[in-house]
Amino acid sequence: MECAASTKAGATVMTAPFEPGRGYELNPAVALRPEPFGALAYHFGNRRLSFLKAPELVELVRGLGSHRCVSDALAAVPEGRRDAYLRALASLAAADMIVPRTVRSAVA
Amino acid sequence: MQQEIRADAGPASAPSRATGVGHDLGVGQEPEIQDPGIAEELLVEEVSIDGMCGVY
Repeated sequence: MECAASTKAGATVMTAPFEPGRGYELNPAVALRPEPFGALAYHFGNRRLSFLKAPELVELVRGLGSHRCVSDALAAVPEGRRDAYLRALASLAAADMIVPRTVRSAVA
Repeated sequence: MQQEIRADAGPASAPSRATGVGHDLGVGQEPEIQDPGIAEELLVEEVSIDGMCGVY
């Protein structure tokens, strides 16, 4: 019987492949709740929870929509940590927490 | 019941090495650094609450 919370690292769903060259934004169906460790992201659609375990990552995710592309957003991240943050964003995209920015909401 | 007591066991808080135990590093070899996958796991952890019937 499976009636308990389970923790999965890197679980994937059927979403479009993550493209750092595109603009992404926080999914409107996702709420971010600040926590001492970073933030807790809750997706109201698929009912997934993700722990964002670094305040810098939370800041990056919140500001993602104001950048033309993910790579631009990552420019503010120290070089040595960019790969880790990129993978973190890819896993958030796979979980539908962040989504490709639509034309309507794109930065002019 | 068996209890193992090791004189060389360090405190629980001491850093442990998952790899490289019992292997000498040769000259010019660097110790293995953190697996990038571990860093990713530390940044984002996903939790499924699908099975939590009646919690909310």
